[in-house]
Amino acid sequence: MNASEKSFVVVPCSGIGKPFGTVSREAAYDLCEELRPESTRLVALAKLVLGEPGARTLVAKHPAVTIDGCKQMCAAKMVRQSGGTVAREVAVLEVFRRHKDLKPEGIAELNEAGRKLARVLAGEVAEGLDATDLPAKGASHV
Amino acid sequence: MERKVGIVSCSGEELAEGTVARLAALKVLNELRPRDTVTICLPLFLAGGAGDRAFAKLHPTITVDGCDWRCAAHGTEKYSNKPAASLVVKELVGECGLARPEGRRRLNAAGQKAVEVTAERLAALVDQALGKEGGTRAGDGAGSHEGNGEQREVTCSCGSGVPVTKVAIDGQTVEFVALPLIFRQFREKGGRQDGEGARELFETVKIYNAVPAEAEGSYRQAVLREYAAFREKEKQA
Amino acid sequence: MPEYLELTADKFTFRVATDRLYTADGVWVLPEPEGKRVRVGLADYLQQHNGDVAFANVKPVGTDLGAGGQFAEIETIKAMVDLHAPVSGTVAEANAALNMSPEMINQDPYEKGWLAVMEPSAWETERSKLLGPAAYFAVMQKQVQEDLKGL
Repeated sequence: MNASEKSFVVVPCSGIGKPFGTVSREAAYDLCEELRPESTRLVALAKLVLGEPGARTLVAKHPAVTIDGCKQMCAAKMVRQSGGTVAREVAVLEVFRRHKDLKPEGIAELNEAGRKLARVLAGEVAEGLDATDLPAKGASHV
Repeated sequence: MERKVGIVSCSGEELAEGTVARLAALKVLNELRPRDTVTICLPLFLAGGAGDRAFAKLHPTITVDGCDWRCAAHGTEKYSNKPAASLVVKELVGECGLARPEGRRRLNAAGQKAVEVTAERLAALVDQALGKEGGTRAGDGAGSHEGNGEQREVTCSCGSGVPVTKVAIDGQTVEFVALPLIFRQFREKGGRQDGEGARELFETVKIYNAVPAEAEGSYRQAVLREYAAFREKEKQA
Repeated sequence: MPEYLELTADKFTFRVATDRLYTADGVWVLPEPEGKRVRVGLADYLQQHNGDVAFANVKPVGTDLGAGGQFAEIETIKAMVDLHAPVSGTVAEANAALNMSPEMINQDPYEKGWLAVMEPSAWETERSKLLGPAAYFAVMQKQVQEDLKGL
């Protein structure tokens, strides 16, 4: 199966309390709008949880990449609870630990380091998706 | 306990109006009303965040959504309480005759304008919820004194107050918040006044009220007395 | 599992475990049952105040410290925080699990998120300078009120 035939939904937590939440959102945009627009589709977590039919259908049909800003892992948890399959579960904090020079600041607007961190995260996920065999169930970490 | 308003914004990645909602909420939280508001993180709230849900049960919340799905408003009502007020950016843009926001990642000029207008409206709703309309707190003056009774109701515009109950313990007057609310929920769950039930009731009271370790026994007895009085009053009503 | 004193401010609840002692800075000290060593970590208020921990570095095993000397530093998304030894002694163990999972400090500050074990050199004299749970609770309460005023 090549990349163009695969299709993933991307669900960021978009948490509003910390810069990492904004990083999750930016990374989702980088992935879905620029890096892998043919094979990814962004889904709003709240719509999924509250039962919006379009969101539910997409998550039922396609494996998910979840991007969480903190270790509460709300997106991963809620996608699973909604019946979705998580193909990649990303914690922004883990990516930051590998790139500690990219310290994000700002919630309404990320600093340059935060935007770079989002880009790095999106790039790692994109490469991982290209190499992914779609799993039936389960998840692995970036 | 100082009253504050919880602000719940939709996550709104899919629409420019969602980004407007998010940025307007942040503007109110960080610039316009930082001392009067508390961030409620919607994903954490939906995923079961106990602190966020408990706050929204006891304090007024105002939701701001990008579109008619009203994820923030519905989520808040489903998991906590009906919001004190709700804004929907799409409706507000129409009402104010603003140009449609564009750019879900980087808002255009119309989007920036929508953020300002939404934030101002949200700030006004916060003031209303706290009785601060027109720059003064409603009830300042004669209405805000302690009164004769033990209970002082701290009200907000939605009518759901956070009651403060004064209780005499070991010769001191101690203020407890939310006792009637806690008692009502405990009674509705069928909680018993003895043994495990009494322990559970007191543990719930402790979530919202500081209890010094050395006085825990006295506080527990006082809470149970208040609960017995609450039940008696309900029977007589 | 310890019992806790709890303080709720806005949507945050801060817990103080009642089975251990504290410094005013928010480092907890739990004597081990045999009485020769103490386990140390961060109180709940301190971990919440500083935010998500990205890195935790404890001084190597064998390091001798005076009371107040730096025994660890944590780096969160908000700040680098130096942590000061509650008592004099030697670092006997460092929590290796924090290398891979520093978030334990945030998720379970009183149990799995412990930082180090020390062999105290002057426990009988120095323990009296530490705060009991109720006294630390009062200190924490004041700190929380200051935080709220500072908004």
